[in-house]
Amino acid sequence: MEATTMAQPTSTGDADVPAKPPAAAQSGTTLAARRRSRVRRTALWMVVALVLAIAAYLFWGRDRLPAAEVFQVLGGEKVPGTSFIIMSDRLPRIAVGMLAGAGLGISGALFQRWLGNPLASPDVIGVGYGASAAAVFAMIIRGYTDWKLNAFSLAGGLLVAALIYWLSAAGKRTGSRLILAGLAIGAMLQALIQYLLTQAQVNTASDVMHWLTGSLASSNWENALLLLVSLGAIGILLLPLVLRQLKMLELGEDAAAALGLHVGWARALLVFVAVAMGALPIAVTGPMAFVAFLAGPITAALTRGPINILLAGLTGATLVTIANFFAANLFADLSLPVGVITGAFGAPFLIWILVRANSTGSGA
Amino acid sequence: MATLQASDLTLAYDKVTIVDELSLDIPTGQVSIVVGANGCGKSTLLRALSRLLKPAGGQVLLDGADIHSKPAKEVAKTLGLLPQSPTAPDGITARELISRGRYPHQGLFKRFSAEDEAAVNRAMELTGTTELADRSVDELSGGQRQRVWIAMALAQETDLLLLDEPTTFLDVAHQLEVLDVVSELNRSRGITVVIVLHDLNLAARYADYLVALRHGKIYAAGHPNDVVTEKTVKDVFGMPSRVIPDPVGGTPLVLPIGRHRVLRTEQVLATKGIYRSEASARDTAAKQAASVKEAAEAAAQLDPQAMRPAHEHVPTLAFDTTVVKSEQLAPSFRRLTVSGEDLEYFGTNSHPLDMRIKLLLPPAGGTALTDEIASMRPEALTSPAEQQGWYKRWLSIDPDTRGYMRTYTVRAFREAGHRDNIGATAELDIDFVMHGDIVDGQLQGGPATEFGDRAKVGDQLLLLGPNKTLNDSTYGGIEFRRGEATRVVLAGDETAAPAICAILEELPSNVTGHALIEVPETTDILGASTRSGVSVQWLTRGSHEHGELLQAALRQVVAIPAAGVVHTNAEPEDIDVDADILWETGQANTAPFYAWIAGEAGTVKEMRRYLVRDAGVDRKQVAFMGYWRRGKTEN
Repeated sequence: MEATTMAQPTSTGDADVPAKPPAAAQSGTTLAARRRSRVRRTALWMVVALVLAIAAYLFWGRDRLPAAEVFQVLGGEKVPGTSFIIMSDRLPRIAVGMLAGAGLGISGALFQRWLGNPLASPDVIGVGYGASAAAVFAMIIRGYTDWKLNAFSLAGGLLVAALIYWLSAAGKRTGSRLILAGLAIGAMLQALIQYLLTQAQVNTASDVMHWLTGSLASSNWENALLLLVSLGAIGILLLPLVLRQLKMLELGEDAAAALGLHVGWARALLVFVAVAMGALPIAVTGPMAFVAFLAGPITAALTRGPINILLAGLTGATLVTIANFFAANLFADLSLPVGVITGAFGAPFLIWILVRANSTGSGA
Repeated sequence: MATLQASDLTLAYDKVTIVDELSLDIPTGQVSIVVGANGCGKSTLLRALSRLLKPAGGQVLLDGADIHSKPAKEVAKTLGLLPQSPTAPDGITARELISRGRYPHQGLFKRFSAEDEAAVNRAMELTGTTELADRSVDELSGGQRQRVWIAMALAQETDLLLLDEPTTFLDVAHQLEVLDVVSELNRSRGITVVIVLHDLNLAARYADYLVALRHGKIYAAGHPNDVVTEKTVKDVFGMPSRVIPDPVGGTPLVLPIGRHRVLRTEQVLATKGIYRSEASARDTAAKQAASVKEAAEAAAQLDPQAMRPAHEHVPTLAFDTTVVKSEQLAPSFRRLTVSGEDLEYFGTNSHPLDMRIKLLLPPAGGTALTDEIASMRPEALTSPAEQQGWYKRWLSIDPDTRGYMRTYTVRAFREAGHRDNIGATAELDIDFVMHGDIVDGQLQGGPATEFGDRAKVGDQLLLLGPNKTLNDSTYGGIEFRRGEATRVVLAGDETAAPAICAILEELPSNVTGHALIEVPETTDILGASTRSGVSVQWLTRGSHEHGELLQAALRQVVAIPAAGVVHTNAEPEDIDVDADILWETGQANTAPFYAWIAGEAGTVKEMRRYLVRDAGVDRKQVAFMGYWRRGKTEN
């Protein structure tokens, strides 16, 4: 392949242009066009998988509900018992799960694209731990349960992001240093969480432990609305700008600056959006292991191209919804927190990424 | 067209100053290339010129206004930069990457327009990347990838394009590919280009304006022909080199000189006026020899009392010259270039090895132009009778009045009109060796050392040398006459270095052997070029005794034969180094080996004794000459 191109005239190659008219480059068979159609197809399959997972959770599985009654409830009718299960438990879980999954997926994909490294997801680089530790602090020491918990979580995530960023000497090619600094900070924060747990009342500690594995059990409509509004606002107001700037940032900071991008602000905005998208869900569901880490690489593998941020959000939502179904139905007499499932599936994937990164020489 | 200037620019990272009060006008519509050693601040300068780095002092002016007073996006519409190692996102196609160059022209809500599309297509066409448009950037070759990046910067549609080492990590063909594209852009679109480049030779070939940076300051700037000199290379890169005209581009070509490397480039010889075709050289030499013989015969028949211009009958003339250039080649070597109308009569009609002249160094506060010398000026009217015994009369004058006479090797003689000449008349290069001590900031040594050290452009220098009309290649008296010898040893200290270099340049390719040159410091190592197989070894003296390394090296290359193999010569006749002039020409007519030793008299004597007595070399095969004596100001 390379040899044929090398044989062509190097400077302008006018002579060869007619043989390969530019019109062909614009037809529907180009790599870029093929990739776009793959993204669309993948999105379609993701939506199908998401709908199936939602349907399976609502209609099927343990404690199966009669389908007719479920439809009645979804149709707005009140069916004693079923209404409560659907409206106050299963639907809020699905709503929170999808929103959290989408936020985590986008958060992880933003970091991964920016630093060009699949390991750079917030749950690996300690930002997730920052949000968790702040949330644990808010729950145990301050007893918060409402939006203030989200605010604490967000603040904790941002604080840790800033710290890691500073430690890895911002401004240079910081990918691997940032990841290593994040791992170190993460370990410290885990110790802090352990310490906070020893300070808690026994029943609070048990709740927090449950929360820490990442669970949709405490989901309610209020939580869902909170997530919808906060993630939605960020997603609509800031994300389009961040996506545009990310395209420049990933060319390297000098190249981005040379193209007229204010690199400092763009970087700060990106980190803010990525951290917020990850930390806000954590405050509600607890840190669901590996969702942020997995969503981006899965979309990249499916589309055989670069990580598509929005598709990663959809993938994150689908992942959590599917994991939620398995968490509820894998064992006949036991309902697992959803984080246990994502963790169990995520760990092998992390190993796979590491092995692949080693063989290609990229990665940390 | 946009203009770009730096004025009093000071750049620093964390208080470490990288670039210091630098002012530079980038010539509009030309290709400027910035060169310099690693860490000299060239990339830093480029970053500042492209607004990536805020100066610690001074400013960068884009179209006359401080570049930092303009919004980044505005600057990006006028000035494009390709950074040193930009990263292509995984899996991105060439067209997608190039399209990102349109960012400064797009608003937050403005979509990719037809105008953007057209700019991208133009950029791809200009860089020959149209056929790569749909390829993933990861899978392109280094040169193709770099062209795609240049296309991205071009899609920006700026008047100025800055490239930071665009050829790093590329093989030589791809380096040219990239630079060709850039210079083509400059020529076809009139884009002003600034490139930071490592390769000095490519820089010289592609630059209209070359900037050499050293320690964050501009060392030299201008056309490559003016900037790329052996001195610049030495000062900027700290590397001895030879600079010759590039046979391909006509621009200066730098040939780096390693420690023990021998250059065998014929072009080097050609620029020194050395004939490559020996046959044609012989022809001209024969013709000239005939005319010289004729002139000499005519001179001999002159009436001894007849007053005639000296150039018609005096074989050795006195030439009045002026120093036109003084160049410090190395800490211990200074080259004076002298020029003057008298030199019209200078020469031997050939290129004798080690052509000698006598310098007449003036006494303190006086002039060396005594009556005897004045009568030897080319145009002076004199008679053969008057010239009889002039040297004896000159010697009898008090040195404080007449000055001193010193023997020097002509390093180069360029006739009037030579390409490298500074002035209109013929020029001579003479290398002075500085051996002496620094006392009160002034070099104290022999009169020649002091003269060489203090000579300024404009100073007068009298010299005695061959009369062109009456001399041929046998001039000089003490030459290198290797005869049939194909193995030679040349040994000498820094005073002999110019002569050894001149001999090396003349040796034909079938000669092998060793050249041993002892110099005070590594930095004194000069360029020696030869097409012979003689290996040149520069010995740096350091703290060793003068001549110690030289003698040791000589013992290595000329081993003492095992006992009984040859009859070693008896002790050579003793020579009193203070009374006799240590000059003897070996006459190696048929012997395969020839040694030529020169330099400090004591060392020379020791080496000669070793060769003749210990190694058993026939005395006739050893030419030796003492140029100076340690501890004596007179020789």
